[in-house]
This record gives sequence, structure tokens and C-alpha cells, in this order.
Amino acid sequence: MHRIFAAIKQTLFPESKSSASPEELRIAFAKRYTHFRSLLTANNNALQAMAELEKVYYSGESYRMAFVRSKISTILINVYKMIRNILAMSDGKYKELEPIFDKISNDISEIVERKRNFQQGPFILELNEVRRKDKDEAGEKMANLGELAALPGIMVPPGFVVTASATRHFLTPDHIAEINRLLQVLDPDNLDDLYSACEKMQNIVMNTPLPPDLEESLHLHVNRLEAGSHPGCKVALRSSAQGEDTAGVSFAGLYSTFLDIDKSMISESYKKVIASKYGPRAIAYRRKRGYRHEDIEMCVGCLLMVDALVSGVVYSRDPEEENSAVMRINATSGIARGVVDGTTVTDLYLVSRTQPFSVVYREMRQGRGTGREHAADTGSLTVKQIQRLAETALQLESHFGQAQDIEWSFDRQGDLYILQSRPIPASRKEPAQNAVEATGPSETAEPPFLTGGICASGGIASGEVFLVDSEEQIQKFPKGGVLVIRHPLPEWAPLLGRAAAVIAENGSEAGHLATVSREFGIPALFSLDGAMKVLVNGQTITINSSARAVYKGRREDLLRLNIVKRDIMAGSPVQRIVTESLQYITPLNLNDPASTHFKSTWCETLHDITRFCHEKSVSEMFNYGKEHHFDKGAAKRLVGDVPLEWWVIDLADGFRPGLDSKDKSVRVEDIVSVPMQAIWHGISAFPWEGPPPISARGFGSIIFQSTMRPDLDPSVASGLTTKNYFLVSQNFCNLSVRLGYHYAMIEAYLSDLLTESYVTFRFKGGAADMRRKAVRARLLADILKRYDFRVELRSDALLARIKKQPVEYLEQRLQILGYLITHARQLDMVMNQPEAVEQYRNKFIQDIDEMLSRKSTLTIEEPSHG
Amino acid sequence: MDRKCKIMLVDDELNFREIMAKFFQRRKIDFETAGSCLEGLDLLGQGCFDVVVMDVSMPGLDGIECMAEMKKVQPDLEVIILTGHASLNVGINGMKKGAFDYCLKPVDFDELLEKIVLAKEKAAAKDY
Repeated sequence: MHRIFAAIKQTLFPESKSSASPEELRIAFAKRYTHFRSLLTANNNALQAMAELEKVYYSGESYRMAFVRSKISTILINVYKMIRNILAMSDGKYKELEPIFDKISNDISEIVERKRNFQQGPFILELNEVRRKDKDEAGEKMANLGELAALPGIMVPPGFVVTASATRHFLTPDHIAEINRLLQVLDPDNLDDLYSACEKMQNIVMNTPLPPDLEESLHLHVNRLEAGSHPGCKVALRSSAQGEDTAGVSFAGLYSTFLDIDKSMISESYKKVIASKYGPRAIAYRRKRGYRHEDIEMCVGCLLMVDALVSGVVYSRDPEEENSAVMRINATSGIARGVVDGTTVTDLYLVSRTQPFSVVYREMRQGRGTGREHAADTGSLTVKQIQRLAETALQLESHFGQAQDIEWSFDRQGDLYILQSRPIPASRKEPAQNAVEATGPSETAEPPFLTGGICASGGIASGEVFLVDSEEQIQKFPKGGVLVIRHPLPEWAPLLGRAAAVIAENGSEAGHLATVSREFGIPALFSLDGAMKVLVNGQTITINSSARAVYKGRREDLLRLNIVKRDIMAGSPVQRIVTESLQYITPLNLNDPASTHFKSTWCETLHDITRFCHEKSVSEMFNYGKEHHFDKGAAKRLVGDVPLEWWVIDLADGFRPGLDSKDKSVRVEDIVSVPMQAIWHGISAFPWEGPPPISARGFGSIIFQSTMRPDLDPSVASGLTTKNYFLVSQNFCNLSVRLGYHYAMIEAYLSDLLTESYVTFRFKGGAADMRRKAVRARLLADILKRYDFRVELRSDALLARIKKQPVEYLEQRLQILGYLITHARQLDMVMNQPEAVEQYRNKFIQDIDEMLSRKSTLTIEEPSHG
Repeated sequence: MDRKCKIMLVDDELNFREIMAKFFQRRKIDFETAGSCLEGLDLLGQGCFDVVVMDVSMPGLDGIECMAEMKKVQPDLEVIILTGHASLNVGINGMKKGAFDYCLKPVDFDELLEKIVLAKEKAAAKDY
């Protein structure tokens, strides 16, 4: 309401004190412009970071928590900056954005910073008391081992587990913070860096003395083991980390196990196992699979060494073949270490999974002289041992409900000990690495007919082309069609639920529509030159956006390649964090600026906030000329061979340097505002040819009157109705034209940064009744659409915009606007004669096309005139 | 930027100060370094500074507290905060408490330089 009153007041008392001095105006403009620019930059950065986060999330490739944190931080900071800037630009109009942002950022940080709740328990658990349920304290391996020790007929070595509670007692939050710090700054791709950081982290562990109470109880338990066995007995210290051996994530062989450890070395060895959590391989693997180091705590099993005669590994199903009917045994004499780490040559047995477990294949590789395959040689295992192993393997498989990878030893008394049992990860054959990158699988297949662009969302899909270049066509868009558009505007987002793929002539992977494409999992190929020209409505195509290629027809050979890639991060804690966080970041609910739901209170995600701030910042800028009234004394009159009266106000660097600032007039060639020059080019390109307007309207008398009277005092001139004001800076121009009842405004900012650039045009009214006004507005709308403006038309009010285009392109659009505001006046007389309207439409288009082609040759000659 | 103001780096990590010193020298940027907030405050009293690059996690007064102290002395000081393994909110909090911008460690030098330039521009704009 305020502003309505202000506008009325302004109309009635144009000299009221809201008029600003040129200096005030200049400062106000500069300030607002600084905020606008920094809002646009923040918008860019936020969208870029969102795109990067989503790209890795959907890629199936691995990413690190540090990456996730840094992207989310970047998004939060930049969205916050956008809010700060829009508040500054709008004098706090959108204050409610702040609590909305706070709520979203708190929700996200709760997800990202979520800490596990630890229950502090005993430092040591007896192995025979440990069960699966104790895995948080005993680690996966020892929890499994304790569980199976309780099964009838199964033996495990006597021992105990040093728990996660003990580890937390040993490594305090200070140590963890120091390790975190090293991990944070670690460049994972730099191996030297990785190794030296690992050494530092492991030194932290090794140089920290065990707390006395932990050390004491460790020794107490080893002594107890010794008492139950024989003096001087040796133990094995085995890593037992949390989260190992689950959901297809094996962590196999990452952590250290130490065999044959003497009692005197027990504390040292315990620390070494704990330190192995920070080995280079372990760190690299955890990162790859999406585990943070705090997701995994290291526990340590201390087991009496088995005096092994023969040891090895049995797979209850051969892992190299799905649904295999055989199990696979690798065996070696002595202890099992070499089998596990692959350093020892082992005998191989493939054994039937059914009674009597006959050997179907054997390979005796263990060195017995040189004889590799003596017929009578049973190798390292006897038939009885093989049967015993097979029975046990099936027993464990049925207990745990899936095929097992079991480490075992037979001791000299012939007893079978199980040292470890873990599930075999389900075999998932990965598709050929380059399948999606390949442009064509067979050499005889037809090559793509369109290539290039930017892959905004990877994938392969097929469908019928549907070109959309106006809002009416949205309703007609067929389900399963390939959406082909000029600009990937957020307005098209609702179509993506129905589209098989999206192709756009412009745009990049960081835009809103790219985000939504990835969210919906449909291929999107942007910045594909000439797509609107080459592709024909109804034509069936196949698009492989990853390969940036478009093929004719439906290509089953390509579509077959579109296998869902195995997701290496699947089920990991880091992936879970991103999945949950993205809900608050990327979904876009605010699609349509014209909708009544386009309000700050409807912002549910950070993406919504960016969209809202961006839209509002643009209108705040657009309204600049409308809301800021200026002291007419600040204006300089444009002199030279110019039609009408034009006044120019320099906001900043819009005039040639060295111009006398006290001069009351300025010549066109002294103006260095690029957008104003372009508009002027359009205004002056053709002489005004139509019938002169009725002079009673008040402006006919001055049309084409060459005004060589620079002494005219602007404040006493014929009043607002006949004056046209340019507000200019080098890159900015706002032109208000009021001629009779016409009101038109052109505003432009031209920048090398595409996101900053825009041209906007408003047109309202005219000396005619409502129906005729509407006809004129529609005619202008049609012409502007023809030259790629986005046009909104309500009755006789027209708003046309163009954004994110190169400077040269926008200059041409400004020329068109300059032409139209000059010549559209002729329509006044003929609005009720349809054939005349048609005639003007054709003439306008013809003139504009001529002007644009003339321009390109002119630029070459121009320098010679001086 | 007529008045010759320097930028100040406050970070408790000697290594990082040395790397940044080389970086500033190579780009002919006038700078001073401080190893703690108190050192930084001393420097602020002695010379002309318009931009401070400040590590968040320091023993003693942390970067956010230090920023508040410095702004008491010189309200128009522009502060860019740096942080390694901080919680997400550290950045936002810093911004809310008046930081000009925020950089994550390990630092992307070009990004930091851009932010320094912008901070200097903003500081210079306040001069008139």
C-alpha cells in the first residue's frame, strides 16, 4: 500500500522531497548493484555446489565426508549471502527468509553432525560370553566368533576381546580431534601426503601410553589365558572393527593381525592393531566405500595361538560362481596367515556341497618334491579332515543364513578350530566400465546425427521429440516424450516427471533443470547447438547423454547398455547422510514465479530459497527506475540530430571520461554505456515513417524536431509526459519512455558473466481503448517472442525478458526494443484494422531483420568515422 | 585503496603461516602474520589493516571471538575466516557475526585471493 501512495504522491507532486540528488542516486544505485552482483555470484556458487554434490551422489562413485561437508558448507554460506543481499536490496522486505533458512540449516547440520550414542561398558569381554548382539563392543569379527563358539561341536581358541569402550578409554576426544584434523587436510590423491599423514596418525596412537587401568586388566586376562594353557604361551591379536563384513562391504585384509605374540609385547601389539585403523589402505578403502573414521571403532581380539598342523580357508560356496554346487578349500601346512594374505602357495580342493562331500577337483600346489599331481597324493588334507571342514562350513552357513568365508586350523591333536567366519559378499558382475561412454556398440550401427553439448544428467533413453517454446505447449507434452527446449528454465521442471529425456540448446549442469533431471534420473543434454532446428516434432530418437550423442530411431543396442551401475557407496553412513541432507537442499518446489505459491513462506529447501532470492533480486533491480525518482536537475540533455527530447543521468562511468560534469548537455557519442548505445542504435536505425500522431496528445509537435537548444532548462521543460530518461552506467541502462499515454521501460545490464546479464522490457497503455491496447500489446509480444524474449502478457501490460545470454546477443535485443518503442506508436491509428496490423507486423520484422544484418557489417566500418 | 593498508593472517599453525607468506609475497601483497589472537590485536594497534584472514580454531581466543575483539577496535575491518574440520555452523555463525567471507582449509589459493580482493574493495568503498 505504501508504494501505491508513494506513486500517487509522486504523480501529483512530482517535485516532492523523495527526489534524490544525482549523487544520492548514484550511491544508491552503486550500493544496490553491488548487492545484486554479489547475490548473483552467491547464487552461482550455491547452484554449482549443489550440482557437484548431486553429481557424485548419483554417479555411483565414491566421495568423502570432507567433500560432502565442504559442499554443504559452501551451499549454506552462499544461500545465507543471497538472503543477506536480498534483504539489503529490498530494505528488509523478505525478513521471514532468515528463520526459514535457520531451520533448514539446523536440520541439515543435525544430520551431518549426528553423533553416535556410546554406552560405556567393560574394557574386556570373555570370548565365550560374546554374541552377535555385542558387535558394537566386540567388533564384527569377534562377535561372530563368540556366536559360533556357542554352537554345538564348534571350537574356537580360548581368548577375550578388548572392547570399543577400552579403545575410547585409550584414545581420548583430544586424540580423535587431532586425527580428524589430519584427515581433514589430507589430499587423498596425493600418495606421499597420504603416507605421511598416516604415519603421523599412527604415531599418535603408538606414542600414547595405555591408561594404567586398561593395561592392568589386559595383562590380568593374558595371565589368566596362560594359566589355562601352558607357561610362555603365545597369543594372536586380531583386529575386530565395527561395521566390517556387512552389506557387501568386506574391509578384507585392511587391518592388522599379529600372530605368535609374547606376553611382554601385548600392550605394544594391542596399540599396533588399533593404529592399523589409520593405515593408508584402510583409510583409502573406507573413503571409497563411504565410511568415516568415526563410523568404525577398532576392537581387538586376543586369542590363544593354535598349535596348527594344517590351516586354511573354506568358502562354503565357491565365490567365483553363483549358485555353485561346490565349496572351495585352500589349505597349507602350519598356520593360516599365508592363505589369507595370498603369500603362500596352497592346495586347492573343490568339494561337493552334499554328503559325502567328495572332492570333485584338486590342485596340489604345495611343494612336495617336484611332483605336482601324484595320483595317490591327498595333499595337505585327509579325506576325514575335508569332510569335517565341509560339515562345519555348512553348519556355519546355515547358522548365519548366508555363504561363509571361514578361516580354520587343525591342531596336532586333530581338533578343528575356527578362527574367523564372515559372509562372502554377493557376487555382482559390474557392467563393462566403458559401456556408457561407448558411442556405439557395433561397428555397423548408424553413428549419432547430433553430438556435443554438456551432459547435465547422464543416461540413455529413447522417445519422440517434442519441441517446447511456449507455455501453451506444456499441456500438450506427451508422456515419455523427449523434451527439447531452447533454455533449460526452471519453469519446465514440471514436465520432467513425464519426459524420457531433456535436450536444451543452452544451459549447463549447474542449473535448476539439470538438478531436477538428476533427481528424476532422466538423461539431460544441455548446450546442444542447433537442437531446436535439427530435431523435428514426433521424430523418434535415442539419446546417450553421457556420450553426448543423439541417434535416429529407437536403438535397443544402446538402451541395453543403460545398466544401473553398481553403487559403491550403497548403504554406507556417508551416503545415508547425503541422502538425508539432499532432501533439505535440492528439491525445487518454487517453479513458477507467477504462482500464488511463489512466496518465501513456501520455501522448503535451500534450492527454493536460491530460486526465490534470485527472482526477487531481479525484480528489485527492475524496479529501480520505477521506485527511484530523481531530481531532474541532474539530467543532461541529449543533443545532436536526435528526435524527441532525451535526458541522460549518469549513475557511474556511463559518460566518456573527462566530460565536463557541469555541462547541461551531452552528445550521443560521449556516452559509453553499452546498453544505451544499443538501444539508441535501434531508435535511430530507421526514420519514423508513419502518419504523424494527433498533436493534441501533446507530443506530435516535437517528433523529429531536431533539437539544437542545449540551453533548455530541464526542470522547466514541458514536463514528464514528453521526456524520456536514460539512467546509465557503462554496463547498465534504464530507459523510461512516456509518450502520451504510452509507458515503456527498458532496462539492461550487460556483463561478461552470463548470470548477471539481462534485458527487460515493460510496456503499458497507449492512446486507445482497452481492446485496441490489448491488440497492440499482443502484436509486440508476438514480435518479441520471435526474437527469443520470454514474454508475459496480461491484458495490455507486457513484460518481456531475456537473461543469461552473451553481450552481443543482448545488444541486438536492445536494438530491437529501441526500434519497437520508436515505431510501435504508428499502430495507434490502425489498431482496429486487422489487415493494417498485419502489414505493420511484417514491416517491423523486415526492418528488424535488416537492422540486425546491417549492424554486423557496420561494426567493421565504424572505427573509420571519428 | 589509496591508504596503504595491509592484510593480516592470524593462524596458530606455523607451517600454514609460512606457506601463506610465500603466497602473499609472490603476489606482492602487503601482509603481516600473527600466531595468536593477542599477537593479532597487538599488530592491529600498530599498523593499518583493512582485511584479516583468520583461522577459526586456535588455542586461547578462537577465530570468531578474536574477530569480535578486533571489530571492537576497528569496526570496519573485513574478516575472512578459515577453518579445517569445523562444524557446518561455524561458517554461518562467523558470517552472522560479521565475517566478510569464509574459506575451507585446505585453502584454494585463488579462491582466497579473490575473496581478499573483494574484501579490500568493500573496505575501500567505505572510505568515502
